[in-house]
Parts: sequence; structure tokens; C-alpha cells
Amino acid sequence: MLNAYQETVFQFMLRDALLGLSIYLTLVTGMFSLANAGFLAIGAYISAVLWKYLGVPLEGALVIAPLACALIALPIGLPVLRLKDIYLAIATIGFGEVVRIMIINFDKIAQGVTGQPNLVITNGGAGISGIEKLAQTWQLILVLAVVAFLIYRLHRSRFGRAMAAIRQDERAAATMGINVVYVKVMIFVFSAALAGLAGVFDAFLARAIKPNDYGFTQAVNILAYAVLGGTSTLFGPIFGAFGLRVLPEALRFSQQFRGVLIGVLLLAVIIYLPGGLINPAAWNRLWVRLRGRRSGAVQGGG
Amino acid sequence: MNKKTLLMLSLVLALVLAVPGIALQAQDDRPPLGFWDSCAAPDKLPADVVFGAVFGLSGGTSVYGTVQQKAVQVAVEEINASGYLGSSKMVVVFEDDAGDRNQATAAMTKLVTQDNVVAVLGPTLSSSAFAADPVAQENKTTVLAVSNTAAGITQMGDFIFRNSLPEGKVIPGTVKQAAELLGLKKVGILYGNDDDFTKSGYEVFKAALAENGIEILTEETFARGDVDFTAQLTKIISGEPDAIVVSALAQEAVPIILQARQQLGFMGPIIGGNGFNSPAVLRDAGAAAEGLIVGGAWNLGNPNPSVSSVAFAEAFNKMHSASPDQFAAQAYTGAWLLATAVRCANSVDRAAVRDALAAIKDFESPLGTFSFDENRDPVHDPIAQIVKDGKFAVLAAVMGESMEPTMEPTKSN
Repeated sequence: MLNAYQETVFQFMLRDALLGLSIYLTLVTGMFSLANAGFLAIGAYISAVLWKYLGVPLEGALVIAPLACALIALPIGLPVLRLKDIYLAIATIGFGEVVRIMIINFDKIAQGVTGQPNLVITNGGAGISGIEKLAQTWQLILVLAVVAFLIYRLHRSRFGRAMAAIRQDERAAATMGINVVYVKVMIFVFSAALAGLAGVFDAFLARAIKPNDYGFTQAVNILAYAVLGGTSTLFGPIFGAFGLRVLPEALRFSQQFRGVLIGVLLLAVIIYLPGGLINPAAWNRLWVRLRGRRSGAVQGGG
Repeated sequence: MNKKTLLMLSLVLALVLAVPGIALQAQDDRPPLGFWDSCAAPDKLPADVVFGAVFGLSGGTSVYGTVQQKAVQVAVEEINASGYLGSSKMVVVFEDDAGDRNQATAAMTKLVTQDNVVAVLGPTLSSSAFAADPVAQENKTTVLAVSNTAAGITQMGDFIFRNSLPEGKVIPGTVKQAAELLGLKKVGILYGNDDDFTKSGYEVFKAALAENGIEILTEETFARGDVDFTAQLTKIISGEPDAIVVSALAQEAVPIILQARQQLGFMGPIIGGNGFNSPAVLRDAGAAAEGLIVGGAWNLGNPNPSVSSVAFAEAFNKMHSASPDQFAAQAYTGAWLLATAVRCANSVDRAAVRDALAAIKDFESPLGTFSFDENRDPVHDPIAQIVKDGKFAVLAAVMGESMEPTMEPTKSN
């Protein structure tokens, strides 16, 4: 079916799709949060450390890492989600940096606490390598399908309507009796757990992790999934993640120009399809506009 | 005479005329490196011997990756023009990893499982190597790292080699050459004690200094993120050392150099670890960087270059109109080493090529006389470099210019 190379890329695609859904959850609730890379790092490091020092397998990490991320997200979310728009983005970028720097210096803290000067857990900036590739494609597909189904069900629930209401107008939603803080914090926690889940697969796919893989660049990459695919349906960020993982591979023939081509594509999407590629309404509008212009030109010529 | 005989006749004539010509030319065009005599010309190879290369050709790592690619192209042209692989041609499939570990894994998987390459050069970054090399190891395919200096690269498996000197091997050679050329007797050490790289660098420095009979006057420490080093430096300088040995990353290296030179007026040599071997340090420290001594694997200005080093610099210049750097020399040598392994194995079988590569001893390369040790790490002499006029110059050459002529001639690298 797929050869080893295609399967490797496909596995990365599925992991990225989980990340896309993670940022999708916050975006559809009207929260511009860039904390996903930080939770991805926490999930990946928890899995790698548990596997390396305690022999916890992938299945165990799939339970522990999302729970840990959710627990961390709760106290972070409560104060931070009072911020809006770009201020929330900046605060969550700050969170990502805190996580990254904490991981780099984790051993120092642990050495101080335990009194063992040679204790190595996260291994600083060099990171953890030699992680076995335990993630299977079917596991990824299964997890992604379950997550997508749950989000789909969520949209059709009372809670989902509340999310949509908050995205439209937070104050109006509050007036209607929606507990805005509760919904926003819960979504932030879900999103964090989902990023943690992706982190488990990241550690067990990539074989080597280091703090700098989860910096600002990664946070922006995750945002790009949502930008390319759009957030009008949950398939948008999945498609965006697939696209941004496949394109660099599909464009390998163009060598050094890959980055340029992908940049141009992203720019074109932002300009012509601001709602992303998976956005039926926008395609319709574009179609009408193009057809309208053509018939207009014909009329002008006649 | 019918058409067929005519054709045959002309073919035979062409062969008779051409073969001695080719043979003669091959003799003349023989590059000054390679196991021409110790391994017979291979005759059992397919028409195209396909190798892979994973380099960072786009993004931030392209500074190194594109140079590596150019150097490999030079090697491939020489190998094919000289008939080093007999009648077979060396082909290298270049893949870009953009400095990203996932793309490196994907590229490695593609090369190893889809392109069925004999062996792979790269990846450019050590962090990419930790992600991608296990794929090659699982598929029993040789990887030759040409720029990875992190510890633990070759420990990933018996198919992982490297020809780039890790820091633990650069420092002893640098200290030895600096001690001989500068007549160092006593030094002070300043190191970061909270970082793996700087701490292991300090330990290697300490052992190397002891080996060369250099006295350590003081050992001072700092932590990552420190900005003021004057207290430690004052204490070190008060002992009047011949040189200050510093194990620091680039971020701390710059203020240390600036404070030692500008605030405390120390004008003697400052010997640095791998963290100092960076254009950023030269740029940020400016004039204060003069007299900074750092070890490297290769330098264009080597006063006693090997024959192949000179030939390589010329060939690189001719093909790309640019001067090669250390990364180019290592990548070029890497391509030649892989070709040599295939020539000596007379086979494209991956296991046979691996064994042939591991068996390479005393290979005359631009890096000097090159061998692999039992851990598949490189064995060759590093070069002590000194910053002069804002550039890395070879210490031996600089000392040769300015010092008394009674100095012993330095060993060729």
C-alpha cells in the first residue's frame, strides 16, 4: 500500500493533524492561543522520560501525558484567558518560552532538589535521543478519528453552541447566561490535552526530541495549519496540517525553492481565501466573483 | 565492404585509438587522493553507484548545507572523471532536510528504502542525525556524518560513521599545538559549570593541559546567562597566566573576550572551545577577538597543507568560484571515503561497503592522514587557529611569520 517513505510522511501528517485540531478548538471559541507548542513539548518530554527511565509504553503515555497537560493548563488558563486577541497570543507565546527554558534547565533544578549532581533527566539543550519508534500508523489513525468524532459531537452539543456564541460575541454570550470563563477554560484544557496527545506521538515518531523543536517556530507552524485549511469546519486544520507536511516532500524536486513555493501558496490563500482552503462559503463567493467579472468583461467588450 | 563490417572496423579503430588515450589521461588526471593502488579498480559494480546525501539546503542551516553540497559535487566530478570506480559512475541524490528533524527522517527513509542508495552522507545537524540515523541503522545502511560533532552520534549503531572531529578530539590537538608554538607554561581556566558542553569541554581541556605539562593557576566558573565576568577574570589575570583557557558557548564567549581585553587589559592568547569556532563570535567581539585561539578540522590557510588539500581548494574554486571552508573539506573527504569503500569492496552490497569503510586506514585527504577508530569516529590532527585581522588563520602560519626563525618546523597536518 504505502512504502516506508510514504508511511513515515503519513505518520507525521497524522500527528500534525492532531496539532491542527488542538489549535482549532481554541480558535473556534474565539481564543487566539499559541500555547500548543508548549503543551506539545510537555507531552513529548513526559512520554520520553517515562519511557526511558520507567519503561512506560506508548499506551501508558497516551493516558498520562494528556492528563498532565490538562492539569497544567487549568491554572495557566484561568488567569491568562482574561486576555484577548493579540495579548492572549503574546501571553501564550510567553508560556511556550517558559516551558522550553524550564526543560533546558530542568536537570539543574532536579539536581538541586535531589542533591544528586549527576542526575540527568531532560538532558538540557541537547535533548533526549534514542527513543524507540513505537507509534504505529493505525494507532494514529484511530486516535485522530476518535478525536475528530468527539469534536464533531461537541459542536452539536449545548457546549458547542456556547463555543460558537462566545466566538461571535463574548458579552452577548454572557448576557444569554453562558458561563464564558468556564467554557473558555475547558476548551483551553481540551486543547492542551490534545497537544499533549500529539506530543506522545511526536516523541515516539521522531526518535529524538530537544527543547528547541518546540519554540516559537513550532507555535507558528501549528497556526499555519489552521490558516491554510481554515477553521470553518474541523477538516480545515486537518487538511492544512496534511498539506503543509506533504508539500515539502512533494516539492522535493524543486530543491531549495520549496520554502518559497510554500510561502507563496500560503500568501495566496491568505489574500484570496482568507477563511482557508476548506471553506465552502468562500469558494462559492470566489466562484461567483470570478464568473461575475467574466460576464462583466464580455458585456464591456460588446 | 558492407555496412556492418564498416561499422565494426570503425568501432575497432576507435577503440584502438581511444583506449591508450583514456589510460594515459587517467594517469594524468588522477586526483592526489584515493586508494588507487591498494585497492584494484572495481569491475563488479552496476553502471550507476547511487549514494544519498541529506543536507540542510534551505532555511537557517543552508549556510552549511549548500557548501557541503558543492563540495560533494566537486568530489563526484573528480571521481567520475578519473574512473575511480572503474567504468561505473558515482551518483549522489541530494535531499534537503531544511534543518528539521522530521524532514531529515523522511529524507533518510526515502533514500534508504526508495532510492536504495549504497550509503548516505549527512545530515548536516547533529539533532537531525539523532532523528534520522536510526532509520539507516535499521535498514543496515551506512551513514557517514560530515558535520556532526555531538557526543553519541556513532553510538547509534555500527553503520553510523563520522569524519567530523568531535570536540573531545579537537581540544587536545589544539592545546598541544598552542603549547608548542606559544611556549605556554601556566594558564588560568574559566568555564561554565552548569552546561554539558562547557563542562565536558573543561574536563577535556584539563586533561590536555596536564598532558602537555602546563600548570593550571586558577579555575574559575560561571553560569549560563551571566553577563559580568570581571571578578573571575581579575582573579585569573592576577596570577599572570600565559594564556586564559575558556570553555563557554558563543553567548558567554563574547562578553568574556570583551571584558578580558577591554576592561582588564589582558592581551595574551585566549584559548576557546568549540563554542568559539563561530563567525558570530568574531563579528560581535570585533577587534577584541584578535589573538583568540580555537581548534578546527581544516583551514584554507594551512602553511603545510597536504597535496590533496591544495588540489581540493583549487578544484572547489574552479567549479564554484568560491573558497572552501571546514565544512566543505569534510564533505569532500566524506564523498571520497564512501567512493573508496565501494572501490575496495568492489560491491554495492551495503554490509560489504560498511566493512570496507570501517577498514579504511591512513587515507591521505585534505583533512590530513585519515583513519576511523574502533568507534567509527575520525582520527586526524586538528588545526590550531588564531584570529588575525578578523579572520581565522592557522596558528602555525601566523607564528611562522612573526616569530624568530629558530622555531622548529611544524608538523604537516
